Amino acid sequence: MDAVSKYGNLIKKTAVSCPRAALAMIRGGLTLERFRVGAFMDKRMPTAYRYLNIMALNDVRSALRQPETSVWANIFAPVEIIRCFGAHALSIECLSSFLSGFTIEDYGIDYADREGIASTLCSYHRNFIGAVDSGLIPPAACAVTTSTVCDGNTQTFRHLSDRHGVPMYLLDVPESWSAESEDYLVGQLVECISMLEDTFHKRFDMEDLSAVLKTENTSRSCYGRFLDELKYKAFPSTLTMQMYMLFATHLMCGSPEMLKFFKHLEAEIRGTRKFDGKRILWVHLVPYYQETLKSYFNLSDRYQIQAIDLNLDYERPLDPTRPLHSLAKKMILNLYNGSYNRKARRVQELAYHLRCDGVIHFCHWGCRQSSGGVMLLKEKLKEIDVPLLILDGDGIDRRGSHDGQIRTRLEAFFEMLG
Amino acid sequence: MIGYFCKYAPIEALTACGAKTAILAPTAYNFSCAEALMHPNMCSFTKAVLEDFEARPLEGMLFTSCCDSSRRLIDVLRHRYPNRFFYCLDLPRKLCDHSIRLYAAQIREMVSAYEQYSGSTFSCELLSRICDEKSRGINVSSDQCKAFRQGGDAGKRPLFDSERSKHTHPRIIMAGARPDASLIRLIESKGVRIVMNMCCTAAERDFKFSPDPTLFEYARALLLQLPCMRMDDTDRRWQLLSGGIAADGIIYHSVKFCDIYSFEYARLLSETKKRGLTVPILHIETDFATQNGGQLLTRVEAFLESLTPAAHAAFSSSDKEGQNPDPAHPECLQNENQNQSDPVYNHNQLSDGFAGGYVLGIDSGSTSTNAVIMDRFRRIIASCSVPTGAKSAQSAECALCLILKQAGIAREDLSQIVSTGYGRVSIPFSTLNLTEISAHAKGASYVNPNARTILDIGGQDSKAVRFNERGEVMDFVMNNKCAAGTGRFLEMMARTLDMDISMLGPLSLQYNEEIEISSMCSVFAESEVISLIAQNKETADIAHGICRAVAKRSLSLLKQVGIEPDIMVTGGVAKNPGLIKALEAELGCRVLSSENPEITGAIGAALFGLES
Repeated sequence: MDAVSKYGNLIKKTAVSCPRAALAMIRGGLTLERFRVGAFMDKRMPTAYRYLNIMALNDVRSALRQPETSVWANIFAPVEIIRCFGAHALSIECLSSFLSGFTIEDYGIDYADREGIASTLCSYHRNFIGAVDSGLIPPAACAVTTSTVCDGNTQTFRHLSDRHGVPMYLLDVPESWSAESEDYLVGQLVECISMLEDTFHKRFDMEDLSAVLKTENTSRSCYGRFLDELKYKAFPSTLTMQMYMLFATHLMCGSPEMLKFFKHLEAEIRGTRKFDGKRILWVHLVPYYQETLKSYFNLSDRYQIQAIDLNLDYERPLDPTRPLHSLAKKMILNLYNGSYNRKARRVQELAYHLRCDGVIHFCHWGCRQSSGGVMLLKEKLKEIDVPLLILDGDGIDRRGSHDGQIRTRLEAFFEMLG
Repeated sequence: MIGYFCKYAPIEALTACGAKTAILAPTAYNFSCAEALMHPNMCSFTKAVLEDFEARPLEGMLFTSCCDSSRRLIDVLRHRYPNRFFYCLDLPRKLCDHSIRLYAAQIREMVSAYEQYSGSTFSCELLSRICDEKSRGINVSSDQCKAFRQGGDAGKRPLFDSERSKHTHPRIIMAGARPDASLIRLIESKGVRIVMNMCCTAAERDFKFSPDPTLFEYARALLLQLPCMRMDDTDRRWQLLSGGIAADGIIYHSVKFCDIYSFEYARLLSETKKRGLTVPILHIETDFATQNGGQLLTRVEAFLESLTPAAHAAFSSSDKEGQNPDPAHPECLQNENQNQSDPVYNHNQLSDGFAGGYVLGIDSGSTSTNAVIMDRFRRIIASCSVPTGAKSAQSAECALCLILKQAGIAREDLSQIVSTGYGRVSIPFSTLNLTEISAHAKGASYVNPNARTILDIGGQDSKAVRFNERGEVMDFVMNNKCAAGTGRFLEMMARTLDMDISMLGPLSLQYNEEIEISSMCSVFAESEVISLIAQNKETADIAHGICRAVAKRSLSLLKQVGIEPDIMVTGGVAKNPGLIKALEAELGCRVLSSENPEITGAIGAALFGLES
């Protein structure tokens, strides 16, 4: 048993009798991790990623230290608005991943199961529900969720809001764009802002939002230029870092810190060597803890994950002169919203554009919206002769992934790529 | 024919275009096609719809964007049948003028799309007439909802009235995800009256329009139905569920891989606990496949037995309904209560109707058939156990011959034969039958009067049952169809380790290293064990890991039912000392067993025979 697992076991034992002490241990663990990243991280890791790692850890630590300034959100929520209130968006997906990083995901998941929550629900959601309901994670000031992608987004937030008296706003995102559907969503954004104003006792300033959108546009341009370089260049990363990218493209998007990160990323890749290995496009979540995947992808010279589609789910520039309409359009036209055919086409474009040799789709336990379309994606990728590997498992729950199966499938896929 | 399944689907508008519509209620024999076209982890209902469509393709389907699985289903169907009519309306979650306008606009677009597809023409007048006709056929549940909405006294009533003894048939609220038609038939066949159907497909449209109705009014009527759990504001559901309807219990249904309703179920559990209510709730999970009828029957019957603990014979009598005396004898129950500490004998506790002779309890399980003969003084005269084999009726006959011989009595001396277990309905000579859940509770209470919670790990399934001092079931949970955590799982693992099942437990006690078998699925767990063998791990350590895995799973069941000491393990698996040790370690307390744990159910069945 390694040190992290031992520490995780200690957190779980403490959580049963004293959840607050367990939370303090989690915060202490994050502080240690921040120190480790700063002082001892593998030197092969690009410095931009090291910076991203530290920023993400800081964000989560702040959200846990001051829950009264944090907002529960999903990764598709309009965090740009939350940012205007000086609050931290604490996403279900990211916090659950952090808990899994401490190897304590089974604590929250089993707790939710015992409450009667379906064991087939996405484990990110179950973990978050269990962690909050058991008292391990303190309630946030309020919650903002969208109906995008997954049924769980509505249900999980409502459950937590009812149970813990946390004000919540659900943004009902229409499946397809029209002027009317955009107006419907803008109307909801106005109501959501009103809830945030009441929660934080602060007036919302549209100018602040416009400024955030401008920064986000600049960041996105930098990322686009980085990806253009990445077609040919080597840029080592790890599975964990690919997930940390969600902070840059979603949870902290539009922040000066993330603009700095993207600028650094763009500058750093210019100095790297040519990549001769196999390029992979990853679709959906990454089980960053999975041993076989880690051994093949982490800081590898042979296999490089070019991007995760989740980080490229919306690429159009936002209009700072019509910020709410821009955000509404961003949510409606998100890659993960609407028909699967639209997503399959976009993944096909990305695979082609990023010169990928293969695509890996990870079917995360409980995620019907992604798993249900894998066969359609396979056919779409066949049109451009890019093979698709379908892996089954769980993004955070170690009990839900079988290493032997993943290893066999992955190695056969690599043999196929040559 | 256009198929649909969402209650918000504007089928009246489609009918006004000349289309014929049919609600889909499929049952699948297997999911081979659906799992190849989508993924095994999709909602079972949508997989069944896809199987059904493949078997007999319809003209098309009308969808709403109601859930993740159905959205993917339409993507797959559109791709596979490009020339059929598939239309998906984006169903708003909010109820406001803006969302109603959006939905009305979509209905208009759907009408145009169907006109274009079929060459027919939409008639607004016809839509008005169809809606008018429907509005005159509003069902009972709608009336109840309406009364509640209009502020009647329904909302002031307690969650469950205490006068259920006045009603001859149990009154049930059916809630949750869409139920299979066979499930409703099964429930109703047991004499249950469903007083309120709150399942997601239960349409309750109130079409009261102006003389010249618009699509806006129609869309509004659709969206105003009792909200399903997908909607933003579900307070109306909760008000009805928690206070509006007088009933004896709730059957809460969920579909495998559909999670939406589990949240309402969790809230129901939490609220009843918080408010100190003892609301009988049965949670049933189905997967729209045909193979789980036996388990469903057990759950429903056990639930009904727990609603009217002593009156089970009224619905479970094999053939002579009404001939059995009503066993709800207060004296009988009282006397039994007084004599819990002495399970052997007391003349006073016998009912007057007991004419002498013996009672046979027979438990037909998936692995073994166990029988017990008791005399009128509740003494065990004989017991035996035979393997069930391929034919449960044959093994029951064999157990009967064997036990009569052992007891030295003739068949005519048996005044009652009570069957229990999976094969209970297939034993032709039984006069009464009851579920193994009630039988094990009763039997455990006899063997150990202080026991209040049992864990029955059977060959096919595991159950945790909480009961009172009279051995009457207060609550129970049962594992789903997955074999993990059952006797079958242990057998499978023992086979993988190349040993007899009886050796697994004793060997596990000799472990040195703690090994975690983490997989939740029995198939994955087997692969995990094979990996451990390949790593040359000690067999005793692996065996210990297996026992711990089952103990952990069992702990979850026990926690769901609410652990009340003493805890006892029944069923053949209780003979596994490794499992008992692992369970004690997980629970942090002593776990009781008995010398012959496998006959607990048969003892309970015999006791029911005596009481009836």
